[in-house]
Amino acid sequence: METTLIENLPEVGAVGVIIKAVLILAVISAIAGFGTFIERKVLAFMQRRLGPMHVGPYGLLQIAADGIKLFTKEDIIPQNANKFIFMVAPVITAATAFIALSSVPVFPDFTIPSWIPLLGDTFVPSIASDLNIGILFVLGMMAAGLYGPLLAGMSQANKWGIIGAARTAVQFLSYEVVTGLSILAPIMLVGSLSFVEFNNYQAGGISNWLIWQQPLAFVLFLIAGFAETNRTPFDLLEHEAEVVSGYATEYSGMRWGMFFIGEYANMITVSVIASVVFLGGYDVVGVYGWLFIIAKIAFFFFLMLWVRAAWPHVRPDQLMWLCWKVLMPLAVVNVLITAIVMMV
Amino acid sequence: MSELETIDNMISITIDGTEFKAKEGEYILNAARANNVFIPAICYLTRCSPTLACRICLVEADGKQVYACNAKVKDGMNITVDTPNILEERRAIMEVYDVNHPLQCGVCDKSGECELQNYTLHLGVDSQSYMIPDTKRETANWSSVLHYDAGLCIVCERCTTVCKDMIGDAAIKTVKRGGEALDKGFKDSMPKDAYSMWNKLQKSIIAPSNGTGETNCSDCGECAAVCPVGALVSRDFVYSSNAWDLKRVPAVSAHSSDGFQIYYEVKPTSIEDRTEKIYRVTNEWNYVSLDGSARFAYDFQNTTATKDEKAFNSAIEAFKKADTIRFNSMITNEEALMLQTLKEKMGVKLYNPEVKAFQTFLNYYEASSGNSLWTTDTDSIMKKSDFVISIGSALRNDSPGMKYAFNNVQKLNKGAGLYFHPVGDTLIPTFGKNIESFNHKVGLEELALYLVLDLFADKDKLPEDVKSYIDSFKKSEKQTIQEKLVKTVKEMVLNEESGEEEEVSKKVTEMVEKEVTVTVNTLVDILGGDSSKFDATFEKMMKKKESFVMMLGEDLYYHNKAENIAKLVALVEATCNIDIVMTPPKSNALGVALICELDDEQSGYTIGYNENGDFRLSALGNGDIDMPAMNQQEGTLTSMNKRVLPTNAAVDYNGYELNDLMKELIDAPELTIDWTQKLPTDRGFKSVAFDDLPNSFENDGTDNRGYILETSNVDTELPKVEKCDESSVLDGEIAYRCNPARQFNDFTDKSHEIFEPFALYASKDKAESLGEKVEVIFDNGTITLDVIADEKMTGDIVKVADFKALEGVYDLFGGSRYKTVTLRKV
Amino acid sequence: MSLEQFKNRNVGVQSYKTLDVGTPPKTGMEKFTQVVKRSVKGELFVGLGVVMKRMLEALFKNDMHTVKYPFEKMPISPRYRAIHEMLRLLESGNYRCIGCGLCEKICISNCISMETRYDENQRKEVSEYTINFGRCIFCGYCAEVCPELAIVHGQRYETASEQRAGFSLFEDMLTPIDQLNLQQEFDGFGAVSPNADDNIKQTPLAY
Repeated sequence: METTLIENLPEVGAVGVIIKAVLILAVISAIAGFGTFIERKVLAFMQRRLGPMHVGPYGLLQIAADGIKLFTKEDIIPQNANKFIFMVAPVITAATAFIALSSVPVFPDFTIPSWIPLLGDTFVPSIASDLNIGILFVLGMMAAGLYGPLLAGMSQANKWGIIGAARTAVQFLSYEVVTGLSILAPIMLVGSLSFVEFNNYQAGGISNWLIWQQPLAFVLFLIAGFAETNRTPFDLLEHEAEVVSGYATEYSGMRWGMFFIGEYANMITVSVIASVVFLGGYDVVGVYGWLFIIAKIAFFFFLMLWVRAAWPHVRPDQLMWLCWKVLMPLAVVNVLITAIVMMV
Repeated sequence: MSELETIDNMISITIDGTEFKAKEGEYILNAARANNVFIPAICYLTRCSPTLACRICLVEADGKQVYACNAKVKDGMNITVDTPNILEERRAIMEVYDVNHPLQCGVCDKSGECELQNYTLHLGVDSQSYMIPDTKRETANWSSVLHYDAGLCIVCERCTTVCKDMIGDAAIKTVKRGGEALDKGFKDSMPKDAYSMWNKLQKSIIAPSNGTGETNCSDCGECAAVCPVGALVSRDFVYSSNAWDLKRVPAVSAHSSDGFQIYYEVKPTSIEDRTEKIYRVTNEWNYVSLDGSARFAYDFQNTTATKDEKAFNSAIEAFKKADTIRFNSMITNEEALMLQTLKEKMGVKLYNPEVKAFQTFLNYYEASSGNSLWTTDTDSIMKKSDFVISIGSALRNDSPGMKYAFNNVQKLNKGAGLYFHPVGDTLIPTFGKNIESFNHKVGLEELALYLVLDLFADKDKLPEDVKSYIDSFKKSEKQTIQEKLVKTVKEMVLNEESGEEEEVSKKVTEMVEKEVTVTVNTLVDILGGDSSKFDATFEKMMKKKESFVMMLGEDLYYHNKAENIAKLVALVEATCNIDIVMTPPKSNALGVALICELDDEQSGYTIGYNENGDFRLSALGNGDIDMPAMNQQEGTLTSMNKRVLPTNAAVDYNGYELNDLMKELIDAPELTIDWTQKLPTDRGFKSVAFDDLPNSFENDGTDNRGYILETSNVDTELPKVEKCDESSVLDGEIAYRCNPARQFNDFTDKSHEIFEPFALYASKDKAESLGEKVEVIFDNGTITLDVIADEKMTGDIVKVADFKALEGVYDLFGGSRYKTVTLRKV
Repeated sequence: MSLEQFKNRNVGVQSYKTLDVGTPPKTGMEKFTQVVKRSVKGELFVGLGVVMKRMLEALFKNDMHTVKYPFEKMPISPRYRAIHEMLRLLESGNYRCIGCGLCEKICISNCISMETRYDENQRKEVSEYTINFGRCIFCGYCAEVCPELAIVHGQRYETASEQRAGFSLFEDMLTPIDQLNLQQEFDGFGAVSPNADDNIKQTPLAY
């Protein structure tokens, strides 16, 4: 893939990008872990339970306990599995999720104070690599992520895994179409594939947010995002009630944990895209712009949990029906209308 | 008994509108039971006399209320079991039984098998109308095995009835309870029969009849078996298990040759030890009565047995070099057949001192009478015989089944009996009024048979020499007897009214001495009877007698004139209307006698099966290799009733069986019971698989267990008998090889509820003169024994127990049962 | 009793109310309309609203249903069938158990065993008693059948232990003699009904 640094930000050096990458990796991993805690708590409250309570104050250290458990648990590889693919698959999931994050604005840019040795005065950008085709890159990377579950399910010599893998292929490929088409209309409006351009396009207050011009695209993107991140009501890949644990059936320990982290990283990615593309991005009112985007991301994250607590699963056939007979036509219509409006 | 006879005797009766066939002269209750009609009854026992204690068997026959247990059926009789009045009586009776009956059903040993409970529920007693202050009734132990809880007793008298009518001991009876008198008001307010039953009940309780509190009986436990409530229980069983926990294993008594039907009742030993243990032995007491060994000698199993390969291999070695196999009658038919096969294939000798004499006697008998086996059995004796003769059997010790039959005939068939035996016994004469007991000298058994010929034979059929030999004992004697003479005397009496003298005739009795010539049967005197009284007694005994039977015992088989005796028996059978029955000595002696060809003596390397030998197979756990005891193996036993009876394994056995050895030695089938079909059909056995053998009684008491041996009958000429050689009479100190009642073999001795020791038994006087311990000196050895007084023995002959195989008592006695010995105090 | 109720074989239908779910859509257009209707009507958001309301109540009104089990315990019904207890007579402190064996007999999982013997006081004594709790299904028949209210179900429902034998012996189940005053009368299965006296006739006694 051709990667080109945007030329109008000459201060960005290699060190800054590396720092940013490490930062993303560390923070998002931690947030993914923390996300599990939040998920358990939120679901518990919505079901009038307490959730984790015993490890640390209010169960806060539950993440640490889970982490220790995941790291120390035996890594089981089934006898008849294709060992290499079986071991690589979770890495693909985690890697693609984080690579996708590299071209998404995650934190505001800042300069490391000069009194810090070695790294002093280094500019750390808000986006690790601000590609001019950012959105395409993110969507592509998320699409590549489908190889994780697919290979995992097929390599493990388990019928539930095979079913999970099949569902992965069907669900991810189908909804990739909706994601792409739904986001095409905003891209047409903005005329760029760069997140920075999107951000700039919507600068100037809430009324400039793209959601008002493209409400249908927003809804379609959100639905497709749920499907892409394998969240309820579309978590058919590892639906416990039907296929034990789907593609993850035979996984244990840290390998299973990588799927988990990948899923949460993807959730954050989708939240970020939705925030940047439709809700005005990060730079709205001066200095506190980064706070706003965190609030927006948090809202989308919370929405995913909220939906999980409230809504039931759909059947695979309903999922496909929804995609190809409802969402996809709507997205096409939306693109057409947008195009007509722009031409007129 | 032919089929025709029984059909002729059948009459028809109607019970509750349905017509049934019944035997003439039968009680209504028995007729109903035989036809599967239920009439409630508590106190009646099928083979005993009616007691009329409970009165609930009240029925209406031809419009009159009668007790079904003692009213006989008549042709065309119309019987109604339940009328409103009768139901009211029955309910009142059950209410009375429930008055003051302790509410301990939860702990009672009857645990639901209780007839009081059953009838109380059956008659719908749901409230109590009667009351009386209770009398304190203590529990007591009557003997080493009997436990009596008077509080639970309903005085149905079944125990006393069975003890008197069946067992013959009459060791318990009803005594005064000392209860309060009934309220007079009840006489008018309650049904009549219920009142009179209560009146009797309130006055009586059961106690040992000798007044001591100890029964001093043969400890057969039959009283406990028939008890309808939990009053009489075996001491060992008290509060040890509920009846419903026990699994019943149908079996046959292993010790005596009676082939009593029993159930071993088993359950796990304890919470920790789950191997099954026999808790008690029960029986179908309406159809069979057990002796003490059958009921209490049950825990003789070989518990320590394991599959010891080393012992197995050395056993194979031993069998290969064996010259003789010595065994006894404690063996199943199948095992006997194995040994016989071994003899045929490997040429070993079979030596069995218990059975050999019996087998020889049977052969003599068959040769001279033409009958392959004796002609009757104890069941039909009890059903129809009314005159019993017993020769050569210590009835009380040798054969409980024969003793019960002898006694039962006296009690139920208004019978009479002759008992010939050298050892005096005080119990036999108590069986009935018409019993003559002859304590003859040892060796005179032939004369006893001649006396039988004299008394019963059709003189025309008798050979001349026998007739003249019998007549030679008759002597004419002049006797002075007192005779009554009635004379008519005429007197002149002054009539006070008229003042005239009148001639009046008056009868005056005078005693006159008269000299008459009578025929005296000196045979009676020689046998120890009194010839002057015997004729009259015998005439009385013979009144209304129709069916005669003669029981032959072990003494005859061991007699040195056994062959002549067998001929005499054949002669008795041919010339008199007498059926014969023989007592096989112990256990399965008949089976062994029929299956095995026994040799006269042992020689060379000997294998002892439960016996002495160079290599010992033992079910007692003390031999060189373990064998299963009789309660640990399947198989068949042959009883004195000529039946082949199946018995089952009650307890686990973990060692090798004889069949395992056979499989190694000869071509043997997989299982011991596979031999059952191979039993020799030419000796009367049938080719029936073990699993097809039935094991039940019918409601009318018909025995359906196993099968009856086929017997053959060939016409033969009258045998030539010899005269009695009185020179073989033994004099001096005589020892008699005889076990105490309940002891038969090492296995009875091993059982924890059998207490009779291995000792010398003597009459009370003799025991006193002998002291505590004596040395019995035989020709070929000595044995030192404790002396125990047997109160029911009389005379000077002492009994030496033989139930311990290792003590070698059989070898000391050699080929006879009586021996002249020297007794030396120790 | 009339046989009418037996003739109606539609068992269970009588007391149910059928929900009116309408007719399912048949044509593609109908299905599409239904989806649009449902989406627009906002039924989905009702669901979201409900769970949000619950969360707010749980957080701010403390309407929480969790019982912190090892630290807090719910009161249990007296009819609850937990680990068995063997009671004593309050007056004498003797065992109530008379060794009748009915519990052993009625036990459908065959887990009760007992040994009895004739004791020195001429009474039936239970010398050993055990329940195999690996097999017990806590059906309560033993308590129901016991004529003496000797074996009852207690309140000990925490039946995890290091060894199965932990509860199963007579001594484990028996009320400790020093805690006799704390022994609770059982009113679960098999207990005497409050109106038992009205239901029985008295037996006349001549004393």
